[in-house]
Amino acid sequence: MFFPREMTEVELIIPSKDLVPVTRVLSGRGVFHQVDSTYLGLESLGPSTWQEKAANYSTLERRIQTIMQTLILEEEPRDSSDFDTIVELDAVRPAVDRIEAEVKGTNDQLSSERKRLEILESQLRQLEPISHVNFEVGSLRNSSYLHSILGVMPAAQVTRLESSLSRVPHVFFTLKEDTQKPVVWLLGPRSNSDILDRAAKSAYLNPLTLPEEFSGTPERISAMTRKAIDESRQKIFELESGLKKLAGTHKKELQKLWWDVHVSRLMADAIVRFGQLRHTYVVVGWVPTSDLQLLTERLKQASKEILIETIPTDRSGHHSHVPVALTKNKWLRPIQDLVTTYGRPSYGELDPTILIAFTFPFLYGAMFGDLGQGLVLMLVGFLAHNRIFMKGLQSLGLLLVYCGFSATVFGFLYGSIFGFEGHLIEEYLHFHFEPTWLSPIEGENILTVLRVAIDAGIIILLFGYLLGLFNNIRSRDWAHFWFGHTGVVALIFYVSFLALLGGFLADTAIAPKVAVAISNLPLPFTTIALVFGAGIMFSGFFRNLVEGHRPLIEGKGLGGILMFGVQSFMDIFETVISMLSNTLSFVRVGAFAVAHGGLSLAIFSLAGEEPDLGFWITILIGNIFIIGFEGLIVYIQTMRLHYYEILGKFFHGGGMRFEPLRLNPSQEEA
Amino acid sequence: MAGGVSGYAAISTKVRAMYSNLLSPQEITRLSDSPDFPSLISSLKNTQYGPHLSALKDNELTPRRAIQQLKQRLADSYTSVVQMSPEQTRPLIKQLYRYFELGNLKAVLRSILTVTSWNPDVAPWDRVREVLFPFGSFATIPAQAMVESGNVPAAVELLKGSPYESAMSFAMRRYSAEQNLFPLEVALDLDYWRRLWAEAKKLSGLDREQGTKIIGSLLDMNNLMWAIRYKVYYKLSEEELINYTLPFGFRVRDEDIRAIAAGGDIAAIVTRIFPSIQDVSALLENPQAGLPKLEVLLKRQLMKQCTAAFIGNPFHIGLPLAYLILSDLEIQDLIVLIEAKSSEISDEDLRSVLLKTSLQN
Repeated sequence: MFFPREMTEVELIIPSKDLVPVTRVLSGRGVFHQVDSTYLGLESLGPSTWQEKAANYSTLERRIQTIMQTLILEEEPRDSSDFDTIVELDAVRPAVDRIEAEVKGTNDQLSSERKRLEILESQLRQLEPISHVNFEVGSLRNSSYLHSILGVMPAAQVTRLESSLSRVPHVFFTLKEDTQKPVVWLLGPRSNSDILDRAAKSAYLNPLTLPEEFSGTPERISAMTRKAIDESRQKIFELESGLKKLAGTHKKELQKLWWDVHVSRLMADAIVRFGQLRHTYVVVGWVPTSDLQLLTERLKQASKEILIETIPTDRSGHHSHVPVALTKNKWLRPIQDLVTTYGRPSYGELDPTILIAFTFPFLYGAMFGDLGQGLVLMLVGFLAHNRIFMKGLQSLGLLLVYCGFSATVFGFLYGSIFGFEGHLIEEYLHFHFEPTWLSPIEGENILTVLRVAIDAGIIILLFGYLLGLFNNIRSRDWAHFWFGHTGVVALIFYVSFLALLGGFLADTAIAPKVAVAISNLPLPFTTIALVFGAGIMFSGFFRNLVEGHRPLIEGKGLGGILMFGVQSFMDIFETVISMLSNTLSFVRVGAFAVAHGGLSLAIFSLAGEEPDLGFWITILIGNIFIIGFEGLIVYIQTMRLHYYEILGKFFHGGGMRFEPLRLNPSQEEA
Repeated sequence: MAGGVSGYAAISTKVRAMYSNLLSPQEITRLSDSPDFPSLISSLKNTQYGPHLSALKDNELTPRRAIQQLKQRLADSYTSVVQMSPEQTRPLIKQLYRYFELGNLKAVLRSILTVTSWNPDVAPWDRVREVLFPFGSFATIPAQAMVESGNVPAAVELLKGSPYESAMSFAMRRYSAEQNLFPLEVALDLDYWRRLWAEAKKLSGLDREQGTKIIGSLLDMNNLMWAIRYKVYYKLSEEELINYTLPFGFRVRDEDIRAIAAGGDIAAIVTRIFPSIQDVSALLENPQAGLPKLEVLLKRQLMKQCTAAFIGNPFHIGLPLAYLILSDLEIQDLIVLIEAKSSEISDEDLRSVLLKTSLQN
């Protein structure tokens, strides 16, 4: 729950005779993440025959797919249990050859007829711009003084061609405007024919290929071309009908052939990555520990002589090679999406999903606290989650339900319902509803809300620091544990920084109580801040020292030391600024709670005082606006707080995705 | 609604975090001090590239595989940025990303022409896939089927429905006549950059301003190098050079390209556009060695331009674009380092082609 799923490294030694059944178990369960283990094989055996088989299956699968595409048939994956074993190529090839031959003959005719039609249509289009000109087409080719190029070219290249000839006498006409293939006519003196040809060629101007079999004026040629087009279309229709008949005849056979070859290809691809020994194969991969027992049983059923070695993986230390399978929980899916957008946890790292599942709705609700609007968000989320509304946003729907629920709870605390607060509820809705805690927009409450927001932020940040330390301990990254930007030195400096801030603001209304409480502890915070501030200044130096990196200081001589001094000063400066900004960043939670009330008041002032139809329409539109617009902004702010302030404190990500072997593309990740 | 602060809240956070993970010039210098390839990889494992390199066992870590893993890291960055960026800016980022697919497409076409000279024991696709950028689910070209088709016209036929179809449809006639990939590659390049520029121009407000600035700077470098290469290496005529280049960019204007095409003083033109680049004449005296150096200098200018995007208001598309370009340039540096260390090139030769180390000065 708090970490990615526990993984076990599995090494298998499979007797050659059981290769296929074992591979079937590994591929069919969707729980085995394969690692390329060809390097464990004997090189002296030469290239595996499976490589050739895999290539042959791949070629055959593509041939079947091509036939199916030609016949407009869909590939229909089946259940992974719906196949027995790898099919022999020789067994299926004749059937593929037979169907292909049947389809190919008709399809080749269809392709060449379509090509002919395309050429005829293109010729007709080319003739259209000059159809009104009364001249023999052949005379263009035989001019004595003019060099003429009539053709089509890329529309994007037209102006470039004209500018390339700016210093050469020429005439250029666009006979037919077209966004893709305009018809153009380039004319110039025959003495410049070389330049004109070069320019036309480099601008991809393709001269027209007017049908040589037709002669006469463009009008006469057009008429003959139209007749040929009609004949060609009729032939295409007949050939397409023939293909439809073939599709009906071969549909079931082709789909079975495709499934058998597809699955065989996937298994052959997997086997290619096994290490081949003389009489056995070595397979290495990863399995979620919870699925290991079942997989092991199935493997033993498939092969009595299989050797299975499992190596449990400790979560401490660095594990960049261990694939990461996140805990599968449909209720946490939207939160997981938020986390993985930022980064996929690495194997030993804390998965922040659970934490974010609490903090995200909490901060959202605190900023958007309204009982009525919260319920509407929940309803919209529920409808989206159940694909009744906003189809395709199923995952976001669930997040809206959580955020809406939190907004509803804060609506109780703030005493707000569809923007009605205090006396407005009694006046317009005719019932009594008091805030359980306080109304954010009333008098001194504004400062209280801002202060509480900062206090909550401080607690969340301190928790983030502690989680960062926890992750460093787990990964045994001692340099960062002590001197990282969320290490022990940074944490103590932050606490002393808060104490000094608390002492400085103690008498003001916005003094964060957590900071004031820390400042009241009997500790010499000024001295601590100075000592640990120096620790932060030289943290790079200390990290190099702990990690054994040399040189300890970049650069050489006096210049290097000076540069190090400047860099150290900038480090402490940046740390203080970022600690202050990180802490104050949470003030936005209170500010948005206040702004929410303010926006509602603005809508009431637009609606007027009389509760007539106009009043209620304004309130309705205002609420839709608040839910849509402010709801979105608060969502972005919540996301920002998590990405900038919270996750950055302890979460690194960079984990490798768990990608198990599976036969059916729709098979869910384990 | 999705633009400005609201649209960029998440992406700018993420990009800033990723930006801070890029290697500093000092770190690149330290990596370049590694005595050999294994120690370079061992140092790289302690950087942001660690997770990708650690996925390979030690005996699998050949220079080619290591480079492939670094490219995978860049692909992951693109995927992540595309997913988080505001809806209206995604076409631009996807088009920028398509640059690597363009490279794959060129590699596939070249492989078809050279496959006959390869070792027949290894399947052509197995050779080609090793050098392709791991484009993943964004891929629109059927690379394997193209390689296996065995000839360029059949391979190009397979591009139907892809973004490259229209550019290829015009260029194929020239290929058929000349049996040379040059017209295909130029057509693909021009089409790619036109689309990229058009996507940048489709944006509005600050996104458009910053987007055209970053994309324009990238385009400047390419356009200028094309013009110089066509003039100096290929000795193309004025009209050909103009047709093979583009009339837009951030600093490089059409007049500059036309001046180069007309035989103007290239060194003076380059120095006027980029005053910090001096001694261009010396570089042009020996184009074989000089032009790659000039390209390095232009890339350094681009790097500075991208770094500058991180100063000031972060809520615009300039930040993700600049990060992605910087990330690409950093990986170019690392590829240089890997190739140099595995082929024992001297440190002096190596330093002159590294991009990032120049930022120390």
